[in-house]
Amino acid sequence: MLAALVAATSLPVQAQPERLLVITTSPDLKSLVEAVGGDRVEVESLSQPEQDPHAIEVKPAQLLRARQAAMLVKVGLDHEPWLARLPAVSAPVVDASRTVPLLQTETPRLRTERNAHTHAYGNTHYWLDPKNAWTITASILAALASLSPADRTTFEARREAFLSRLEERLAAWETTLAAHRGARIVVVHDSWSYFAERFGLKIVAAAEPNPGVPPSPRELAALLDRLRGSDVRVLIADPHSDPSLVRQIADKGGIKAVTLLPSGRDYIGLFEENVRRLAQALKSEQ
Amino acid sequence: MTELLLWPFVAGLVLTGIHVYFGLHVLARKVVFVDLSLAQVAALGLAVAILAGHPVQSEAAYWYAFAFAIAGAVLIALVRPYEGALQQEAVIGIVYAVSAALGVLVLDRAPQGAEHIKQLLVGTILTVTPQEVTSLAALYAAIGALHLLLRRPIMQASFGSQDMPRGVLLFWDALFYASFALVVTSSVRVAGVLLVFCYLIVPAALAGLLATGFVARLVSGWMLGAALTAAGLVASWVWDLPTGPAVVTAFGAAMALAALAFAARRLTLRKSALLASSAATIAGGLLLVVPQMDQPWLDVLEGAVPPLQTVFLSASERATREEMLQSVARAREELTRLRALEQDVRWNKVEMDSEKAERLRQYLAGKSELSAGDSLVLRHLHGKARERQRYLLGLPLLALGIWGLWALLRRRSSMAIGSN
Repeated sequence: MLAALVAATSLPVQAQPERLLVITTSPDLKSLVEAVGGDRVEVESLSQPEQDPHAIEVKPAQLLRARQAAMLVKVGLDHEPWLARLPAVSAPVVDASRTVPLLQTETPRLRTERNAHTHAYGNTHYWLDPKNAWTITASILAALASLSPADRTTFEARREAFLSRLEERLAAWETTLAAHRGARIVVVHDSWSYFAERFGLKIVAAAEPNPGVPPSPRELAALLDRLRGSDVRVLIADPHSDPSLVRQIADKGGIKAVTLLPSGRDYIGLFEENVRRLAQALKSEQ
Repeated sequence: MTELLLWPFVAGLVLTGIHVYFGLHVLARKVVFVDLSLAQVAALGLAVAILAGHPVQSEAAYWYAFAFAIAGAVLIALVRPYEGALQQEAVIGIVYAVSAALGVLVLDRAPQGAEHIKQLLVGTILTVTPQEVTSLAALYAAIGALHLLLRRPIMQASFGSQDMPRGVLLFWDALFYASFALVVTSSVRVAGVLLVFCYLIVPAALAGLLATGFVARLVSGWMLGAALTAAGLVASWVWDLPTGPAVVTAFGAAMALAALAFAARRLTLRKSALLASSAATIAGGLLLVVPQMDQPWLDVLEGAVPPLQTVFLSASERATREEMLQSVARAREELTRLRALEQDVRWNKVEMDSEKAERLRQYLAGKSELSAGDSLVLRHLHGKARERQRYLLGLPLLALGIWGLWALLRRRSSMAIGSN
């Protein structure tokens, strides 16, 4: 019955596509697809910024939309393990990670020895470096243009406009954080490597060596010990970090905790907010 | 160690105090899973609170959780008089599953809470604060005092309810489950569902094996709970383990030890011989048929008695093995030292220019790759030895096991014929 329903509802869409329906796995990618596609695309994200991107439960309506989609854009690597369980999508799939220079791509064994965020193919939070928007939007542009060749020039112009706005903002963010270049920080979860690399921050440790597993007392003690004699002043937490762990590290380590957002509905707005929060935290601790 | 583990230990003592008491009641009432069920209902309450716009750590969220747990408790109390038609345990299971599913539905509308509720179920006893422990202790002292005052009817409702009129029983059941819901809601916030369940059931169950009488069981349960909390915390420190799961495992290990001790008391010579022969048959058979399979028992034996592996290697293979072992040990030592140095550089305790730091990082990566190569050689030699152990060790073991079983079973049948 579901198949019949899918067939019935997908027919009119395929017959006369007005706007290209693009499905993305994350809201950040949705924002980037919209930046390139403008009013020629209708974009839906399968996950919300507040959700854990690794564990999404796809709903029937979303499944239906995914089947109707002209194109699917994913973060790639092993960021969305749930995507493999979705029934095969006939539309072309854009893996946004393909052209991005990745960090932490050593073999997983090496990284587990060093207790880093254990993704098999490298750290997946690459959209948190604004510079990577250049390559991500290039992949999106190529895919959109092959779906709708007539609109290629429009897409190119929109992308150029978006990137020049981003470039301008990036310069402003770098100026805001310039005073703190080289500052050492501690993160709860190892999702900030790209962001730190771009803005010249040095991540010295992650409080939660394995995501979702609380640190052992000895790991916590070692971290607190290190913190007391160090020049580290700020701890970056994610919205879903364990609040009691964050509070304990902040209190006992004598540092300030700031929650940054790893994902947002508006790509530029996401950085505006994160840079504002981080600058405030770093400034108040000087 | 004491600085970080003191408050978790005190929290463990407070939890032991109230939960052993409730555990004895719960075991007598045969509603073991009521705790998990009520905790899940409380989590549903939290999810609803988040949907209503309250932060997960707020007072309002706590009262939501408590109100939901009370509703669940009353529902469970209401079912008890109809035990004949509808088992209370079935209702407890249904409440658990449905509230878990409802929680998912609610969180779908309020996704920002999902992670926090997951953490809540796992628990964070390591990062408990003194304020949390003292307010928990005050609350549980009050509940304990209330139960002490009303001990006669409450005990009767749990341990001898058949003489109570139905309406009266319902009242005392509702009071019991309501105070239990309050305890569960408060404990889970600090220790997580799994740990709270262990505090409730394990010491009470072990005390049931060791002592008779409510007070004797309560006191021995308290001592067990305190000792196991300490054991779990020390294990978590010594072996570098997440604290909550380590304490849960300590409780599980105690239960397993008690079960083994009870089984050992019933073990006769003949039964142990049968067990040993069966084990030898299975282990020898597996080694013979699938030598490439992981054989953990043989790995442990080889670790304790290396010749068990080396006699199956040629002289040159033995020399290679020795060399690789030394090289791996040397590399491990060097890597530990350099990793510590890298950490010091990262934390700015040691000055190093960025080029040199990068060289150090790359050297570390290369060195651990090389060392991994050596380990691979060791694995290969290990596989070679296993291939030879297959016949020289597996076959005799299998034969010994089968002979043992045959001899034991033949004796039994001849005894049976003799007695006829």
